[in-house]
Formats: sequence, C-alpha cells, structure tokens
Amino acid sequence: MAICTGCSLLCQDIEASVSEGKLTKAKNLCRKGHGHFQASFSERTSPMIGRKQVDLNQAIARAAEILRSAKSPLLFGWSNSTLEAQRVGISLAEKLGATIDDTSSFCQGSLMESILSGRLPSCTLDDVRNYADTSIFWGADPSNSHPRHLSRFSYYPRGEKRQKSYEEERTCLVVDVRMSATAALCKENLFRVSPGGDAEFIEAILSVLAGKIPRVGDKKKMIELGTMLKKTEWGAIFPGPGLVYSLQGNMEILEKLLARLNEITVFKVVPMVGHFNMRGFNELLREKTGHINRVSFKGGEIVHGPEQSVMTAAKSCDAALIVGYDPLSSLPFATAQALARLPLIAIDPHRSLTTDAAEVVIPAAISGLEAGGTAVRTDGVKIEFEPIIEPGLPADEQILKRIMEAI
Amino acid sequence: MALELSIITIRDIFQDEAGKKSRYSEEYKSQSALIILDKQDLAGLGVKDGQSLLVKNDVGSVVVSARLSEDTHPGLAFMPNSPWSNQLVSDATCEAGIPGFKGIKAAVQPAEASAAVTDISEILSRIKG
Ligand code: SF4
Repeated sequence: MAICTGCSLLCQDIEASVSEGKLTKAKNLCRKGHGHFQASFSERTSPMIGRKQVDLNQAIARAAEILRSAKSPLLFGWSNSTLEAQRVGISLAEKLGATIDDTSSFCQGSLMESILSGRLPSCTLDDVRNYADTSIFWGADPSNSHPRHLSRFSYYPRGEKRQKSYEEERTCLVVDVRMSATAALCKENLFRVSPGGDAEFIEAILSVLAGKIPRVGDKKKMIELGTMLKKTEWGAIFPGPGLVYSLQGNMEILEKLLARLNEITVFKVVPMVGHFNMRGFNELLREKTGHINRVSFKGGEIVHGPEQSVMTAAKSCDAALIVGYDPLSSLPFATAQALARLPLIAIDPHRSLTTDAAEVVIPAAISGLEAGGTAVRTDGVKIEFEPIIEPGLPADEQILKRIMEAI
Repeated sequence: MALELSIITIRDIFQDEAGKKSRYSEEYKSQSALIILDKQDLAGLGVKDGQSLLVKNDVGSVVVSARLSEDTHPGLAFMPNSPWSNQLVSDATCEAGIPGFKGIKAAVQPAEASAAVTDISEILSRIKG
C-alpha cells in the first residue's frame, strides 16, 4: 500500500507500482492523485547554479554560502515537506536568525490558528465518517480540491452510526458564490452568498437560529437552513479558502456561529488544507514558538507578525530559500517580482517558474512517492509513510541537514 | 467596449493535474489562461466562447480565452488560480495579511485580432523584470 501526497487527505489505500519509468498500476487514486503520481515522471529538476548544471554537492555548497552571507534570509514553502524536513527547516531558521513562513500565511492561517488554539471545536475525519449527518462545504469545492473527501469521509461512506449513509442519513450542504462541482451534487442545498458576503450570511443564520427574520438572503431558504441546522444530530463544517478570504481572516464571527450551534447540537469544524502537510508545519512551529507561521528568529528573538509574512518579507529580505513550492506562479505579481530579484535557492522535485528564476536549484525526492516520513492530515491525524520508488535523490530533510552542516 | 468585472479565482482538478505535470505545457496553458463569463457578459462583449479577451487592471494585464459559464452570475467572472490570474492580483493585503486572490477587479475587452493568449514564458520574463 502506498500513500498519496496529492492533497491533505493523505489517502493511505493506494495500490501503485512503477516500472521502467511508468506508472503501471494505480488503484484508488483520484484524478488529482493520479496527476500527482504521473508528475513524478515529468519536468524533474537537476542541480543548477546560475542556470548551469552542476553536481549536487556544488549546489548545496552554494546554497549554504548564500544563506550564510545573507543578513535577513527568508525560508519559505514547507507545506509539501515531511515533518522531519520541516523540523530541520525550523532549526535552520533559528541558526540563521532567519524569517520562516509557510503557505498558510496568505491563505488558511487564521482558520488553522483558531482550530489549533481550540477556539473552533474540531474533530477527525474518521469522526465525520462515523457520526456526521450534516456536512457543510463552505467556500470549499472538494470535488476539485480534495476529490475523495466525500467518498472517504463526509457523504458516501457507511459510518458506525451512519449505515444508511447518503441515501437516508446524510445531508450535504454547500455555501458558495457559485455552482461548483460539489454544489452540483447537492443542488437544492446550495446556499448562494454574494462575493464577500459570508459574514452577513453568518449573521443571517444567527438571526434565524434566534427565531428572527433574517435580513439577507432568500428568507424562506434561510428559515429552511435554520431548521436543517437545528435538526442536525452531529454536524461538520468544512471551510475552504472561499470562506477564509471572504471573512478576510477574521474568524470571530465563525467562532460565534459555532458556539451558538453547539448550544443546540454538536457541530465541528475540519479545515480543508490544500498542501499535504501545511498543518504539520503549523503545529511544529506553534509548539516551538507559539505561532503557526510568520516568525523571525533575528538576533535570537522570536518575533511574529505581518512583517514576518512572506508577502512583506519578500520585499525586505536579502535572500530566500524556497522549499517545495512555486511562489512565482502562486503569489501576486509584485510579490513574485520581489522574490525573483533575490538570490533564490529552490529545493524542489519539479521544474517551476521559481526554479527557473532561482540562482541555485536543488532537486529533491518527492515525499510519499520517493521519500518516507511523517505528515499531518488536514484533520490533525499523524500519518507515517514509506516510499514506493527509490529514486536515488535525497529528500528535503537530508538536503536541509547538509545545508545546515555546511553553514 | 470593455466591461468592469469582479473576478474570483477557483481550483480546477484538470488544471491542477496539468500544472503538476508541467507548468510549460500547452495543456496547462489552455486550462489556466481562461476566464469564465456569464452568458449576458459574453454577449455584452460581443464575443463567443473560445475567443480571446484582454483582462486588465492597475496591476497588470493578460490575454486569456473566454469560456461560457454554465451558471448565471452577471458582473462576476471566474479564473482558475494560476500565474495568469496572479498577473492581476495586487500585493496589497487586508489587515490579516491576505491578498485579494478572490476579489480581483478588472476591465475585460475583446483582444486585438493579432494578440495571442499570453504565454507562460512571457509571464516569467515580466516577473524577472
Ligand atoms: S484525495 Fe487527495 S490524497 Fe486522496 S488520492 Fe486524491 S489527491 Fe491523493
């Protein structure tokens, strides 16, 4: 059995085999996971300095040199690395007095913070499979982002208390600005919000739950929603980036809604993390520093705040190490531009805009497929895995250790 | 004629798959360099599904291909989250430090006949400056 690191569900039931550079067997992989496995055969990186091919030792030595001479380096990425590699990364940041940040910084960080600090009640996806009769996808479209979410956990499976499953015992609701692929599955239960209108929508739910007439939305539909929520025995809300962006990271109103719902019945929140081990990084850094992201170790002190976020640090740092992520493709134009002006070191299995703009490229094994380790599933369950291919490439963890030794 | 639209970025499994395999493939380009418009907006622009549109704001501009939405959402458009959409995303953030990936405002108009859909190599050279 293999594991898939294609998304943060970390499916462990994958039967895959590879021979002669081809995926010869693939069972239980979703389309996204299949793409992830297939990608191991295309556009792989090789060690480079200044766009010229070098050997791995030279690339590592040059990376160490850049980081050693930088006054305020930024270490960024991390969501696609194992816990083992993340741990070395945090030590490296400490040693360098660097700023360290991950992808949660511009996306789901505030939600993760709320969950890890216990302000939002959470549970595992196994609990969802066993007990949930209502699943609410809010600004989330698992059919595209976490394709096996509904089949493994939230809608189709026959859980311990939900043997009659979706035919009779489970309802799935979608709150979204559009008819997403997931919304199309539970059509009459799509509740449309206007862009940025989620806070207002939550207020409307709170009104309905208090027996008042809601100010926004289709009143009849809102009252129906209120009734569905009240009738729920065990509910789960899955907030996606749509909700976090719409609330502009302000989780208080969501916390208020959950507190109210839990006065009536049981409702939990399970995040929909994108990359396979973002949560792992957030947990590790929080253990070490009290903060899930955006931390500077400059002068041996721990400083946390917007100044330490990749969005700001990209402009103020003088070198950056990017691990397993492609910020030049994924971040706003001006931030990508700021990063591209720096001496960049990219540790990545795959060619990307970032590796193409980097001063140093260090190829790595793909976690899950080619390197073992541990990762934290989106719901907080720790999962260990072994590689299925031996590529002869070092994993992030080994590369980072070697950089650290060289510094 | 140009339309001022709000653009929300979305995830798409086919685009994601193509991007994992290669950022430089035609497949990734065709799954990313697109904007999904309401029927009414498409008609307002006088273009058909598949024609090229110039999408432009203070941050930047891209030429992408128009797609007819199966849903109704006049004034609102969707783009897969990609280097193309990021050409239009400002680095200004809200208080929590989150940029407006899902709140892009841009003017959309038919592209000139000679304008090809923006290539990823063009995007990379703009980023490198
Ligand atoms: S749902 Fe996620 S982890 Fe599971 S097979 Fe698909 S991509 Fe892989």
